[in-house]
This record gives sequence, structure tokens and C-alpha cells, in this order.
Amino acid sequence: MARIIKVLNLNYRYPDGTTGLNNVSFEVEEGETLVIIGANGTGKSTLFMNLMGVLDGDGHIEIMGLTLNKLNLKNIRREMGMVFQNPDDQLFCPTVMDDVSFGPLNLGWGKNEVIKASQKALALVDMEGYESRTSHHLSFGEKKRTAIATVLSMNPKILLLDEPTSGLDPRSTSKFINILYTLKSQGKTLLIVTHDIFLAQEIADRVLVFSEGKQPVAIGNYKEILNNTDLLLKNNLVHQHRHRHEEVVHEHEHEHKHGYSHKH
Amino acid sequence: MKRTNSLLENLDPRSKIISFLAIIFCMILTPITRLKDFGLYFLVILVMAFISRIPPRQLLKRVCVLIPFILFIAMFVPFVKQGHMCWSVKIYNWELGVTYEGIWTFLNIVIKSSLSVLLLVIASSTTTFSDFLKGLDLLRIPQLMIMITSFMYRYIFVLFDEAKRLMRARSIRYFGSRYKEQFRVIGYMIGVLFIRTYERAERIYNAMIVRGFNGKAISINHLRFSYMDFLFIAGIFISLIFIISGLIYKIEHVKINDTHLWHGL
Repeated sequence: MARIIKVLNLNYRYPDGTTGLNNVSFEVEEGETLVIIGANGTGKSTLFMNLMGVLDGDGHIEIMGLTLNKLNLKNIRREMGMVFQNPDDQLFCPTVMDDVSFGPLNLGWGKNEVIKASQKALALVDMEGYESRTSHHLSFGEKKRTAIATVLSMNPKILLLDEPTSGLDPRSTSKFINILYTLKSQGKTLLIVTHDIFLAQEIADRVLVFSEGKQPVAIGNYKEILNNTDLLLKNNLVHQHRHRHEEVVHEHEHEHKHGYSHKH
Repeated sequence: MKRTNSLLENLDPRSKIISFLAIIFCMILTPITRLKDFGLYFLVILVMAFISRIPPRQLLKRVCVLIPFILFIAMFVPFVKQGHMCWSVKIYNWELGVTYEGIWTFLNIVIKSSLSVLLLVIASSTTTFSDFLKGLDLLRIPQLMIMITSFMYRYIFVLFDEAKRLMRARSIRYFGSRYKEQFRVIGYMIGVLFIRTYERAERIYNAMIVRGFNGKAISINHLRFSYMDFLFIAGIFISLIFIISGLIYKIEHVKINDTHLWHGL
């Protein structure tokens, strides 16, 4: 598989001097699903903003062979879409259709092409028939699905999803994971930021762990990373259980594996 | 409001905007002393309400929400407007009087505003907000104004929710008294709300630019100007010309073969 994203020595500081990213380097291959996990405030979302060229850090970013700079920004954004954490930030138009067609229209597509792409994107996220609905009347799960449709309508090769399952109930989460599976089967490259270990387990090919020092500390196969309890504990991704059975107090690692039940 | 699929609802929003603005414009320019003209304006609006198929009860309900505001603004005018005294009452050393000029100004405000509100209710009941914005866009209204209106419509409830959450957070920790301090607390809350709104605006802008926004909002135009739109606009304009020019009153005196037109009919 060909390399599609390359990040080398990326550093970012916020205007108030706070470190956002500290020497970040990694690569992503085409069609791969990379899940980026880390505790709150470790720079995961900041990394996405840098990849999209919204924030301008120091270092080298290469996407689909194009170096991220002002000259290539438009071409890169044609091929890479981002779904924000809060769907209310992403859905700013009066109706769902206006929102979903916003990207393709800005790309200069023809009217029929835009309508076709928008309807296809809405069908993919199971939101057909919602075209004329007002965004603020949708449920949170529907908003999340519409937010992903706003990006899918542009048919990007790479998708960045910031905390896609946060705030969703279990049924909506499973619906969302199914959408991600569909996208994966279509050969899209997915970069997902989350601190939901379950999601990482479900969908990841590889996992990148961000430390509280705002830099990646491990990258590798999802089984290898998610089974490394010491690594997860150290980076505040799992916690230790402490509970009591009558007079005996147990302490053990929190296992995030389906069907796991701890022994006493 | 429930869609009625009426003639007015199926018209292009542009024709409604043009016609309704024309009616409002004519009403504003008509002197209030020509009370008969306002009766005719009312008749035109009633015809539109009829073809819009909005249930009268619903129409009245929505109009009645806004009428008190108009009355509140206008109610003091008869008492404060200088002019010829119509009626007065002496309360100790203070004289409270109503002037003829004040009454006319009061009628001017109440009649024109009420008719405009009626039109506004018909317009908003027969046009979705997004269609209304598209209509404005196609009528070459500055994009910045349309975008600001669109964002206001989209985020006003989000903002209300945010404010409500702040109020709730305060109320569960406030146990009465220390009233003076509450002004400071409310000030903080307004500040926090402003900062949150500002930050949200930044995030929205980021979401726009990553989807290719470059200062110009484009949307799919599904609006079509049909012959019905032309007929509607023509009908409204002809009615307005008849009302303003006074032609409608002259018809009364038109004679055919020495007989009044109305007799012939």
C-alpha cells in the first residue's frame, strides 16, 4: 500500500504559548484505519486542525504526495474531509440539504452532480428523507450522521473524524460504527481521534497513542497496542479497578475486551 | 406550521417578497387620513390569507402575539403628541390631554403595523426560512446580510440553550439574598456567554473553510419563476395602482349608456 499521509517533526504552540503538539511524526497508508487515542488535552484534535491546514504548526506534513502549504491547501481539502466533534459546529445551514451540498458547491460541481452526491451521502448515513429538515431539530445521533454526510458528499479519499462516538447512545454508536465499516470497505483512509478504547478495538488497523506530553508514544497493530496495559495505564487511557467483595478489596486493571470477566 | 400546499405556498419566494414589500411600501406612503384605502389594503391581504389556506384561527393567534407590542409602543402617542386638544382631564395640578394629531398618529402606527404584521404572518406561514433566504439571495440582497440572518436563525436556539444552562448552573448554587452581588454574577454570565459564542463562531468558520468556503456562500437553486408568479405580481401591482390612484372610487361613477356601471352589473 502507498503512503498517503506523512507527518514529520510537527510542533504547534497556541498563541498563549501553551504547547499543542510536541514533535509529532507518523505515517498513514492508503486505505488504512488509524485510530489516535489519548487522554483529554493531549493534542489529538490539534493534530487534525494542523492536518487540515486550519492551524499552522512547524514541521512537515505531506498528504497524497502534496506538501501542506498555502499553494496546495485547496487541493488537499478536496481529498481530505474532517468531521468535527460537535455536530452543531459543522451544521451551520438552515436545512440538512443545504449543509450536505455546501462542500460540493464550493468545489464548483454542477447542480445535478451536487444533488446526486448529496443524496448518495445521505443514503449512506441512513438520513434519506431528511433533506428539507432543519438541522437544529435533529437528534444528536442524527446530527452526527448528517455531519459525516456533509463530508462524504465531497467524496474525499481521507476522512478525519474527531471523537465520532462521543455523546452517542449505544444504538447510535453501533449505527455509526457500521457507517465506518462501510467507508472502510470503500477503501477510504480513516483517521479517528477518540479515547473510546472499544471503538479502537472495533475499527482500527493500527493505533497511535498520544501521551500527556502531547506527542505520540506508540504506534502499531491494534492488538499489540490495546493489549499493552502498562502503556494504556501510563497514558491515562484505562484505570485500575478497586472494589470490595465483603471484607476483601480487589485491585486489578480495567480490561477492555469483549466478553471479559475478571476472576477473584 | 403545517404545510397547506396552497397557491401562495407554491409561489416562488421572490414573487412573495416583491409583492409583500410593494404592499408595505404603498401602505407606508398612504396618508392615514385616507382610511378607505386601508380598508382596501385589508381586503387585498384578506384575499391572500384566503388563498394561502391558513386556518383563520391560527392566523389570528399568530397576529395577536405581535399586536400587544404595537399597542404598547403606540398607546402613549395620543397623550404626548402636541396639537389641538380633543379631550383632557385635570388631576390636581397636572393636565392629561389627548390631541387630534395624537389620535391620528396612534391610528397611523396601529393600522399600518397591524396590516404589515398580518402580511408577515402570511409570508412566514407560506414560505420556509431557507426558501426565503434563497429568494433574498436571488434578489441580489448582499450575501453578508443573508449569511448573518441564516446564522442567527440556525444558532439562536443553541445560544438560548447555552444561556439556559448557565442560568441553571447559577440557580442551583444560589440560595437568595446578596442581591447586589447578583448583578456582578449576571455580568460574568454574559461575559462567559460572549466568549463561548465567539469560540463557537471560530469553530464554525473552521468547519466552513475545510469544506472549501472562500467568502461566497453558494446553495442549490431549486426555485423556478413560473407564469403564476408573474400573474400574482401583476395582480398585486394592479390592485395597488387602483388603490393609490383612487381609480377604484372613480369606477363607482363610471356610466355606460347613462347608467352606472354597478347598475349594469
